[in-house]
Amino acid sequence: MSDEKLILGIDLGTTNSLAGVMRAAGPELLRDPAGEAIVPSVVAFLADGVTVGAEARAHAIENPLSTIYSVKRLMGRGMDDVAEMAEHLPYRVVPGPHGTVCVQVGDQLVTPQELSAIVLREVKARAQAALGREITEAVVTVPAYFDDSQRQATRDAGRIAGLDVRRIVNEPTAAALAYGLDRADEGTIVVYDLGGGTFDVSVLHVAGGVFEVLSTQGDTALGGDDFDRELIDLITSEIRDDYGQELVFGPSTQQALRNFAEAAKMRLSDGNEARIDVDLGDGRRFERTITRDEFEARIGPWIEHTIEHCQHALRDAELSPEQIDQVVMVGGSTRVPLVRQRVGEFFGAKPYTAINPDEVVALGAAVQAGILAGLRQDTLLLDVIPLSLGIETLGGAMGKLIMRNATVPCQAAETFTTYVDGQTGVDIHVLQGERELAGDCRSLGEFKLTGIPPMPAGMPRVRVTFLVDANGILNVSARELRSGKEASVQITPAHGLTTDEVDLMVQASYAHAIEDMQAHQLIDTRNEAHRVLSAIDKALVEVGDVLSAEQRQGLDGAVATLKGLMEGDDPDALYEAMTAANDAAEPLTSAQMNRVLKQTVQGKKLDEM
Amino acid sequence: MSEPTGSAVPAKCAKCSKPMSKPLVCDFCHALNPAGAEVDYFSMLGLPQRFDLNADEIHQKFLALNRHAHPDFHAEETPEVQALSLRLSANVNDAYRVLRDPASRANCLLELLGGPSLAEDKSVPEGFLETMMMMQEEIADSADQDESDERVRTREVLQTQHDGLMARIEGLFEEHQRSVDCEAVRQDLLGEIRRQLNAVSYVKKLLSQTR
Repeated sequence: MSDEKLILGIDLGTTNSLAGVMRAAGPELLRDPAGEAIVPSVVAFLADGVTVGAEARAHAIENPLSTIYSVKRLMGRGMDDVAEMAEHLPYRVVPGPHGTVCVQVGDQLVTPQELSAIVLREVKARAQAALGREITEAVVTVPAYFDDSQRQATRDAGRIAGLDVRRIVNEPTAAALAYGLDRADEGTIVVYDLGGGTFDVSVLHVAGGVFEVLSTQGDTALGGDDFDRELIDLITSEIRDDYGQELVFGPSTQQALRNFAEAAKMRLSDGNEARIDVDLGDGRRFERTITRDEFEARIGPWIEHTIEHCQHALRDAELSPEQIDQVVMVGGSTRVPLVRQRVGEFFGAKPYTAINPDEVVALGAAVQAGILAGLRQDTLLLDVIPLSLGIETLGGAMGKLIMRNATVPCQAAETFTTYVDGQTGVDIHVLQGERELAGDCRSLGEFKLTGIPPMPAGMPRVRVTFLVDANGILNVSARELRSGKEASVQITPAHGLTTDEVDLMVQASYAHAIEDMQAHQLIDTRNEAHRVLSAIDKALVEVGDVLSAEQRQGLDGAVATLKGLMEGDDPDALYEAMTAANDAAEPLTSAQMNRVLKQTVQGKKLDEM
Repeated sequence: MSEPTGSAVPAKCAKCSKPMSKPLVCDFCHALNPAGAEVDYFSMLGLPQRFDLNADEIHQKFLALNRHAHPDFHAEETPEVQALSLRLSANVNDAYRVLRDPASRANCLLELLGGPSLAEDKSVPEGFLETMMMMQEEIADSADQDESDERVRTREVLQTQHDGLMARIEGLFEEHQRSVDCEAVRQDLLGEIRRQLNAVSYVKKLLSQTR
């Protein structure tokens, strides 16, 4: 079993991340011993190290500046893209090298890729613990509407986390795979995927193991976070009405409001109202009952926005709503009743909500991993590129070379020439987007072609091939046709890291600060054991005489066993020995407590206590 | 993108030496053939060089080839095979995209048959522009309709125009196939197809503007 090829399927979400693997019986999620599959996508930088997941989230209020969440919204983005959103984040987002953004923690800058890598490393460690073996390869999901930079950033995060990312797969497509894997019926389905920070809608034709994406649309900055934001805005504006417009909310209060809003949103999904009670300190209190009608009035425009995207996706697929056989709901935010209602109204049919919207994407990633490992030869997945690709032409227009919704892999070629005698290099500005002007499209970077043999101006014919692979990521190659010489292509990404930078991060990453789960746990247990041993030593000096000979013998034995295991590498055995020593030292601990209590009482009068 | 060259299917599979009926993948061992990317789009998908192809058949050929060519099925093979599968799969997808749309299929076939390209002949059929102008006036004159009705009507008229042009193109391709003897007649027909196709692009552009 452990020698068998095993590729992890990972859903790297805005709010939560989780992983699964493909078994003979089908995809299966990996859970920790407590049965929990979800790792909250939160990283906290504390004085004594980095924590991830639920533990990190627990620090959010006390440590708002160094508790980092929703990193996915920063991946592959520039300062202009995230400025507005960053205002609402309690942690600091600052410009990074060449067009990227970084998170500032203390005096250090951490890239979104590194932060995502920390989450991925935790997911990987959990998977390894659940499987009892090492994992080095993974399929990682991204929103279908992620552009090239965002996909590359995700792949880089995988590399930094020590994972060979074998495939970037689109989330709605993954969901469709998990939904339709062993269904015999042929049909056209829509996957409506509204997550914490991103929205996608994909139209697919499913028949006989073939999953063919016809079109996809979305918004990589629209999600449940925006619903929270609406509630936060409502609360803060009313608090300011009550206590003064000049009231400033510190990072901790902002974080607390976020938690209140999130909880209220969840209550409003099940019930008709949610009570909010915020203690603002200094005897100031804000109490308020929010009704579902109020909530829906505020989030309505966001939902209408997703319906518009559904319209566009259908138009691109040349279909009408009544031609859709099933609408599959994915992502935690599809639990909001108004979302279900509006989607149902638009498609004229009740959406399919029988699958767990938080788990289906990871299951689909596991299916894709299974296909790559050769376990599902009967399943063919044909995905598309979400946004057109092109180059900046003379006069600053966008010259489209590959149209959106083209099945991937796909390619296009364009021939360039030189303008100066002996010119050996040509610069190409590569763009992604639907707008007519280059300035309105997303810049993927400057591609510099070099190694063109020197010739008179206009003579070289440099054929540049733009190949989009199955990950939806662009690969560029160039050849000078007259000489047949391969030209080399140097890429300066507009919103991403260079290969060298990623290499450096792989070597010296924050992710390495937390080695895999086992090592991490071992170190923690060892530190704790050291504390236990020194506490016992101290107690023996102070109150050693309270022990009977038998108790003393038991304690010495337990301490010796613990010391013997200190340098070992079995965290469980170490934990057991530590617990045993602690138990054996119990009489000492009580005696110490009593002594301290007595000293305190003796030193003071009773009424002072 | 490979230029259509019309080169023939290789006789034998390079790997198992069995005869090959289609250029991209061996019928017996399913090995991928690099020369599969060098043939024209019709040959690549194993389709005859004709305009009147069945949409379902094109789709089925496209899926069948991707079942062997798609990178997902070569993930555990050498980097060379992976690169080949990426290239071939991209070609199959490009071929499908071109052939499934009747207008781009006609354009592809026209060039394959030696007809003029758009760059060589930008003209439209005689009377076409006059028809378009009359149509636009007619639509503008029906002033009693509100804006969305007008749009719907414009679309209907344009769609009818488009379908008429495509039917004419189909007929011209049929005529071309029958007229094997006379090269002058064939060239005339190809020239007329070019002009009809140019008119199709014109109508399509208008259609996309009225969405």
